Amino acid sequence: MPEKTSIGGAGLIGILILAVVLIAVPHLVSFSQQELLVLLTINVLVVVSYRLQTLTGEWSLAHVVMMGAGAYGSALFAKSFGFPVPLAMIAGAITAGLIATLLSFPLFRMKGFYFLIGSFAAGEILRLIWKRFTDPFGGPKGIQRIPGFPEIDLGFIHIDFYDPANYYYLVLVVVLVSLWVLYRVEKSRIGLTFHAIHWQDKLSESVGVDAFRYRMLAFVIASFFAGLAGALYAHYLSTVNPNQFDVNTMVYVLIWTIVGGTSRWYGPILGVVALTIVDEVILRSIGVDQVRPLLYGLILILAILFLPNGLESLVIKARDALRGRGGANVPNGEAVARK
Amino acid sequence: MKSASSISLTRRSLLTGAASAALLPLVGMPKASFAQENVVKVGFLAPLTGPVAAWGKPGLDGCKIWADWVNEAGGIEIGGKPYKVELASYDDEDDAGKARTGATQLIRENDVKFIMMLGGNSWPGVEEIAARQGMMVSTLLPSDLTPDTTTLIAPCEVHPIYNVTGVDWLAANHPDLKTAVVCAQDDALGKPSVATYLAAFEAAGITMASPPLFFDPATTDFAPVMTQLLANNPDILCLDTCYADYVQPLCEQAFQQGYKGKIISCTLDFYQRIVERTSKEFMEGVIFQFPDFDDKALNDPRINFKKPNEFFAEYVKRYGATEWSAVSWEYSSILDLWADAAQRAGSVEPADVLVAMKEGGKGKHAFGDARWWGKELFGIDNALVGDWPVVVIRDGKATIAEFRSIPDWWDKNGQLLVKHMTDLGQMWNQRT
Repeated sequence: MPEKTSIGGAGLIGILILAVVLIAVPHLVSFSQQELLVLLTINVLVVVSYRLQTLTGEWSLAHVVMMGAGAYGSALFAKSFGFPVPLAMIAGAITAGLIATLLSFPLFRMKGFYFLIGSFAAGEILRLIWKRFTDPFGGPKGIQRIPGFPEIDLGFIHIDFYDPANYYYLVLVVVLVSLWVLYRVEKSRIGLTFHAIHWQDKLSESVGVDAFRYRMLAFVIASFFAGLAGALYAHYLSTVNPNQFDVNTMVYVLIWTIVGGTSRWYGPILGVVALTIVDEVILRSIGVDQVRPLLYGLILILAILFLPNGLESLVIKARDALRGRGGANVPNGEAVARK
Repeated sequence: MKSASSISLTRRSLLTGAASAALLPLVGMPKASFAQENVVKVGFLAPLTGPVAAWGKPGLDGCKIWADWVNEAGGIEIGGKPYKVELASYDDEDDAGKARTGATQLIRENDVKFIMMLGGNSWPGVEEIAARQGMMVSTLLPSDLTPDTTTLIAPCEVHPIYNVTGVDWLAANHPDLKTAVVCAQDDALGKPSVATYLAAFEAAGITMASPPLFFDPATTDFAPVMTQLLANNPDILCLDTCYADYVQPLCEQAFQQGYKGKIISCTLDFYQRIVERTSKEFMEGVIFQFPDFDDKALNDPRINFKKPNEFFAEYVKRYGATEWSAVSWEYSSILDLWADAAQRAGSVEPADVLVAMKEGGKGKHAFGDARWWGKELFGIDNALVGDWPVVVIRDGKATIAEFRSIPDWWDKNGQLLVKHMTDLGQMWNQRT
């Protein structure tokens, strides 16, 4: 069943509440949780962009490496070529998109499981290049002392982006704009074609859809936004190294996406938010640092057993339940008419 | 009042009890008798989970013993007042992002006065916050040091420079061994260590049978790695500073492939397990750099680590003999230095303690008096360097063979080390 796209009154109230929460949240949490909030918001962009790529039915293991391409690109543009950081970030994201374009030619000769393995191999090649070439990539230690986002000083207001609360607002704006673009892409004809290729690729091709081009487009768009997330990450931490973008990190992205669900745009967001809160806030706060991986694994198993359609299925059920209750409250005449 | 016999355990009361117990740490237990005391908090920011946990968690375990002993003895006296020492730990998972979050929590929420780190991948995430907050931080990896890291010190382990003592001892005691091979994971820990071993072998007149072999840290099958290493029949097999997860399978592979030469390694964590999986005979004579602290050689008067044998016994009692690792004592020895400096400074403030610690350019390292050094290699004299033990497996047990001087080796062969560090891009001014 197609998703409802128009926003009703309840939806508007929900958006308003969400906006208030997003603006207020840095002031409601501790200093260390502000740091987490920045990383979490960046990760939201990573998983949502990853979902866009999965719309064509191809699951890549190179997405985190694409994030790394953006991070390395942006770091080098800023540090070695003297680009202003905001421009370097965009250039880093474009670099990731260009690399994805090049990788598309060999990768999209494959499908399904073969594409998965191929994307892993391509990602590893890229990651090993960063590790192998100390100049310019810094080798295993990576690039350090990457310039941060420039401070804004207007006399009456001074914004230091090293402060996690300030950087959070910057990241939030970038991520919200990116999510809006990704949402519009999915709801456009291009997005519908992605879905068509996913479910009926031969049929799509028979009516003139160039499946290769659309798969490539999804990969490039997803990589561009992953690269943008990587750029935000690099200029926040002031360091990038190849280990940050290894297959372990990719496994986390897969887990967040799968636990959240991929049939709705908000599914991966639910996954990354819920699992980050569980792992980084709840499990740490109860002082079980050393058994966190064990408990995290247990929670994942339970989630997969009891929520096979992801956390988004809870939202769908809750919405259906509310609609059902709403139906019971409609005037008698209307209820009868429906019957 | 209900009689004892009338109290029944229902499912509801059981669940309520369990939930209450689980929430206790969140809501906080009443602080019993320390409310009126002065407390100084020290941060522990290292990997407690993940592949590098072997160089974090055993250190935290050792620090708990150190803190318990100090507090049982009435705390440390600073400025005429006794201070209880509390540890605040954060698992940084060897990741810069988590380390930044952890440092923020330790500094801004836990109000620690000193942070101990493993360093390496995690340090860049902490560097700026440490500089901005003027926080003194220690690392086990002096390759983190640069002229800009003025509040970062390497007061215990000058990794990998102490590895020269093992090679130096090997060359002096086994002059017949003439060729060597070395392997390491291709990362920030492996490369400077390889440079150090190459310099030490060259200084000792030992030639390399093949170029250094760097394997990917994701490697799980070490059979081909070992086959390649042994192809030229080396006299010495050097395992560099491989992580514990690599040293064990590498030793097993060397055993299975019939290697008969000498093995030298930086660490040999949980070596009892390796002895079990190979044999006492195979492991006899393996050289590394980290002693068990039940070694009687550590009772020498020049050793500054307090009660090493008792420390080891307590560690084994609490956590088991097989849990002892290279770092079990290191963070505790850093705490010794810090406590001594804080007492001399009469303050717990990081800047005061740092000045007191580096006063006169000398310090009391765990293995004897040492000097603050490192300008030629790290651009700053923030590494405490002196003697270091050479440890040999004898009859399945780690035994200190001799203490050797790192500064003496450096004075004679420093240029070789600079040359190899430069070749592998490991000098501080080569880091991007």
